[in-house]
Formats: sequence, C-alpha cells, structure tokens
Amino acid sequence: MAEGTDEQVAVRVQQGESDLFGVLIERYQAKLSRYARKFLFDLDDAADVVQDVFIKAYENIQSFDPSRKFSPWIYRIAHNEFVNALKKRTASRTIFAFDLDTLVPHLAAPETADSAALERDLRATLEKHLEKLGAKYREPVILYYLEGMDYREISEVLHIPVSTVGVRLARARTALQRFSASHTDLV
Amino acid sequence: MNAIKKGEVRMRPRWHFALLTTLTVSGVVIVGLTLLYATSLAVFLLRDSGALFATDFGQRGWFELLRMLPWFLFLFILVFVVALEVLVRRFAFVYKKPLLTSSLAILTFIVVAGVFISLTPLHRGFMFSARHGQLPAPFEMLFAPPPPPDLYRGTIVDVGPSTFTLSDEGRVGTTTFVITPRTRLPYGSNFKVGERVVVIGDTNASGTVRAFGVREIDEYASP
Repeated sequence: MAEGTDEQVAVRVQQGESDLFGVLIERYQAKLSRYARKFLFDLDDAADVVQDVFIKAYENIQSFDPSRKFSPWIYRIAHNEFVNALKKRTASRTIFAFDLDTLVPHLAAPETADSAALERDLRATLEKHLEKLGAKYREPVILYYLEGMDYREISEVLHIPVSTVGVRLARARTALQRFSASHTDLV
Repeated sequence: MNAIKKGEVRMRPRWHFALLTTLTVSGVVIVGLTLLYATSLAVFLLRDSGALFATDFGQRGWFELLRMLPWFLFLFILVFVVALEVLVRRFAFVYKKPLLTSSLAILTFIVVAGVFISLTPLHRGFMFSARHGQLPAPFEMLFAPPPPPDLYRGTIVDVGPSTFTLSDEGRVGTTTFVITPRTRLPYGSNFKVGERVVVIGDTNASGTVRAFGVREIDEYASP
C-alpha cells in the first residue's frame, strides 16, 4: 500500500496529516466491528461503540509509541470502550475488577498449531457457543481465533500476564468442548 | 472521519501524554522513596529496641519481637506497596507478570534496601531529637517509643561475679542484672565493660532483675 504500514501511517497522522487517519479507519473498521459484534453480542449500539473507539484513538494518537505495533494499541482502546459499554449495560462495576488468574504465576499452555480438523471443529463450536462463555474468557478467544493475535499481543491488549492468556484460552476451549458435547447429546 | 475533518474531534497534544508519564513516574519515585524510608525505619526501630536480637532467646524472644513490631508502620508500608503496585502496573514490564510476582519483587527490594538504609545514620538523628524532646509528640512516639518492660538494651558499665550493670539506652539510670544457671547466653558470658548487649529480664519483688537471656549486639548490625 502507498501509505505504508499501520505504524508509518500513525506517525504521519501524529505529524499532522490528519486525513490519513481515514486509512487506519478503513483498515480497522471491519476488524473492530467483528470484534465488537462477537464480544458485545446483542448490544444494539455496537456500531456507535466502534465509532467511539476511532474517536478515542484519534484523540490519543500522540500517545502511540511508533516503536511498537499499532494493532495492540488500537485493540486496547477498543477493549476499554467495550468493557465500559458492557458495564453500562449490566449496570455492574465488577467486570474484570479483580481476577485471581492474574495474581499467581501459571505454567501457561504453550501456543500450539492445532490440527486443521481440530481447528475447524473449534471454529464451528465457536460460532455456536461463543455467547455462552463469560466475558473474560470470550475476549481472549475472539482475539486469538478470530483476530489472529498471539499470546503476547493479547497480553498487551488486555493488560494481563502472558501466562494468564494461556490459562484463559485453555479453560475457554474446555468449556466450548463441554457446550458442544452437551449440545450433541441433546440432538 | 467527518467529525475529524470538521475539527469537532481534536488530537490531544504530545505534552499531555508526556505530562501524564512524568506524573506517573514522579508518583512511583515518591511512593518508592516513602516506602524505603518507612521500611528502613521499621527495621531501625526493631534493631534499636533490641527486639530483633532477642529472637536468639527462643520462643520468648520471638514473642518480644512480635510485641515490638511497629504495626502502624507495617500497615502504612502495606498501603504504599499496594499504591506502588497500582502505579507500576501501567507499565508493560509489570502487567505482563503475575501480580504476586511483581508484589513480591517490590517487597523483596524494599526489605533488602530498607535493611541497608537502616544501617546508615539516617534515622539516628531523628531518634536523638525525639529522646531529647525536640520533636512533636507523634514523632516522639514513633522514633522513641517507651521501652518494653522486660526488654533492655545498653552498654555494660560494671561486671560482677554473677551480675552486670547496664546503662540502658531507653531508660534513665542503670539497671543491674543477675545471671543464673538458667540464663540463656547464646554468645557466652564473657561480658566486658563497654560492650553493648540486649537483655530480657524479669524483675522480682526485691527489685533485682533476673536475666532471662543476654547477648552481645554486633556493632556492624547496630550503628
């Protein structure tokens, strides 16, 4: 692309080429909308929340460090906005307030390339049962399986230890398999 | 994008974020230094009271240590450790680690550094002023709390066949102790005038103080 990488575009926006922010919107509109739809589900104003993410990103673009990747930075903003939206909807302040998983060190399950069949099964299960997962497990699943991030990037987005990402993904996979099995039993 | 083009949404200037970072780092430095001061003061007070050395006398020594722990300072330290954790958790090198790991790293650092700082003359000047009534009452209580009834610390001014007399650093005048076969002497009984010791002693009806345990104080460990 003529505009360069996300990081190069972000630097040019920082230097005053505000119009180029449109390039970043174009590149992330679909991704963040999918993230919002999967994470927030029945939230009617998901599109508005995504809009707010871009406004926040533009307002805070000078805080972006060009030596790091742009993607986790904007996803971090999205995460904060989505969590705020969930809090408003559930009128609860306890979402992600404190999590025992982040307290103690874990032996994280290493990132593995699941076999193609297993991957296909898991994705099919995801589509059907993602909504049943709690928010704290749903989010790493979306970022890992649907947004293609690795553990380190997810750790940066969620501000949790890398080992905790592995633990949450492992628990989410187990839960999804359980949902899938019980669903099959019913059929 | 329209809102941006129309100027309805504005970029926050770079100095805004530089200021936030500076404030956070300043907060970390201030809270960290306060923690170091409080921790070193807690170690200093335990050392100065003699309680830190009394553990050599067994269970009763440990009880003295527990009784002499500056709980208010410990609570203060705990609150500031939480505050420091909250401040540093904004940085990637901290939030990528489990909370327990980073908290233990902070605690280990402040305890080790606090022990070293407690060996410097930093707190001694305040303690001297407190003992001479030159500090406001709360500070006087902090730096020169009343000595515990059965824990003594001072310099030997006289040695007898089975007694010795101590010029106590926390009390006015001298106290004479009787050494009995049951007195615990982890470093022996070859005491000399001018040596500094810590003693747990029980006062009997006649006013004599029977030494439950006596040990020298290492000059290096006790500035």
